Amino acid sequence: MLLVDAIFIGLLEASPLILAAMGFTLIFYLNGFMNIAYAETITFGAYFAILFNVVLGLHFYMAIVPSMLFSGVMSVIVYLGIFRPALNRGVGPTEMIILSVGVSFMLRYGLILIVGPENLFLNEPNVTYMQFMGLGATNLQLIALALVVLTAGTLYWMIYNTGLGEQMRGLANNHDLAMASGIDPHRTSMVIWFIAGCAGGLSGVFSGVFAQVTPYMGWNVILITMLVTIVAGIGSVRGAALAAIVAGILTAFITLVSKPLYSEVALLLAFIGVLTFRGARTA
Amino acid sequence: MDYLIFSFSLMLIYIGLAQLLHIQFGLAGIPNFGVVGFWGLGLYGTGVLYVTYSFPLLAAIAAASLISAAVAWVLAYLVLQRSGQSILAATLALAAIVATLVVTEKDITGGVQGIGTIGFPFSEMANRNVIYFGFLLAVVIGLIWVSARLRDSRLGRQLIAIRDNEELAASLGKDTAAAKRMTFVVTCALMGVLGGLSAPLHQFLVPYHLAPSLTFAVWIALVLGGKGHNLGAMIGVFATFGLFDILIETYAPVPQDYALMVPNFKLFCYGALLVLIIMYRPTGILGEDAPHERPKAAPTPVPDTPVKEG
Repeated sequence: MLLVDAIFIGLLEASPLILAAMGFTLIFYLNGFMNIAYAETITFGAYFAILFNVVLGLHFYMAIVPSMLFSGVMSVIVYLGIFRPALNRGVGPTEMIILSVGVSFMLRYGLILIVGPENLFLNEPNVTYMQFMGLGATNLQLIALALVVLTAGTLYWMIYNTGLGEQMRGLANNHDLAMASGIDPHRTSMVIWFIAGCAGGLSGVFSGVFAQVTPYMGWNVILITMLVTIVAGIGSVRGAALAAIVAGILTAFITLVSKPLYSEVALLLAFIGVLTFRGARTA
Repeated sequence: MDYLIFSFSLMLIYIGLAQLLHIQFGLAGIPNFGVVGFWGLGLYGTGVLYVTYSFPLLAAIAAASLISAAVAWVLAYLVLQRSGQSILAATLALAAIVATLVVTEKDITGGVQGIGTIGFPFSEMANRNVIYFGFLLAVVIGLIWVSARLRDSRLGRQLIAIRDNEELAASLGKDTAAAKRMTFVVTCALMGVLGGLSAPLHQFLVPYHLAPSLTFAVWIALVLGGKGHNLGAMIGVFATFGLFDILIETYAPVPQDYALMVPNFKLFCYGALLVLIIMYRPTGILGEDAPHERPKAAPTPVPDTPVKEG
């Protein structure tokens, strides 16, 4: 019974993480660096939801899609403005990570300077608690889970079954060969950054509605997202989804049997362990 | 005045950490994103040993830095031969583990309430904070001197070779894994020493001190100043901590209403500076300095060959 509970709670809690990990992986795979500023894509998704839901007064469900699209557009702007010029200048992978930390600081503290550091709350739709065979969840959680499954499924199909996915995989594996085969790297990269931004924004909207909207919310999940991505293997979108689900279930399980903070420690230790055996070797 | 001395003492700690990071990343190419974890083990280790187990201060600092060294050794054994991104993620995770354990183990660390008070050394003297500042200054100058000597030494050249091409260095018969591990463990232990030395400055330790912002402040300073230059760490800390935390926070006439926004503005500027530096001057303000050439024993000039510098 404990195990069923853990799997169920884990799936509900992991739903934003699954989206974030898939989006983060897309960029990691395409451009070969870990984009720490992806944290701010998540945060901005939630703040766009505040804009549509609280400031403009849209119903929460109506606010989801525009917030997602806005995050996608923001992601493309950041790519075109900073990351593409940097990649063209030949900045190495570790320096790209440091650069993305800089971008992340700029966006996060720029947001605080404009909006303020207070925690904000989304106007939740009517929440009803439902029970089924001893498992309880709110309708909001179930809708979120359904939407995440839908988005993740679409993303998966897009990467592994469409021309765009093929172009992306081609570019990631051999940039020059892909260009010689007539793939336009700029168009494909922009589309991928847009899709990754949408996934991050949606993840932010859901983490925001489950708890609260803070300027640090993306930053708080980026470490676990990063570890999930690395453990999954660079650029494996299905691996990222699977690792996020496992992480969610593991966290829920340890939280049920011990203190919640210990689950974080155990998860991080488990990740270091996995890195030891699965991480790419140097000499 | 006391506050100013405190700020300058803290600045010396930052310079020391950035200097150690220069050895780790600038020379050996190890991207350690867990600086605050090793520093924090020294800081909290000293605090816990001093307050809970009533060690003398120096013994507490020594024991705490041994803890840092032991943790660094285990981590080095686990992930140091993996790719740079794995090392980065693992060290970041380690820092998060340290910060979390300090909150959960409240029986010995005081949890979120914090732990204190850590006694100040030289307590019998009048100007003890000035003397302590001088002591820290000597430590930091020593660190800069050692790292300059290290870079020109056999080990330093080996580390640079590993950074540039580890497989090539290994193929020349160097035990690259051992060299990296030893460098990492020693520098992390010294980060622990700096953590222990910060304990009397902070006097009362709270988990907030272990926030990852310290790691990023040190990284930003190093990248800004020049990761491959021996004085880059110092210049970088002057340009970030010195400029914003000391000059602006102490002397700039900020209206009361905006005072709370100053730290956020500072971090925004750090981010912008980092982006500009990496885009337009990736080697930092000072650039890269090559190891000093040793004078050759018997120079035999070859007249018709042009000699290239550097």
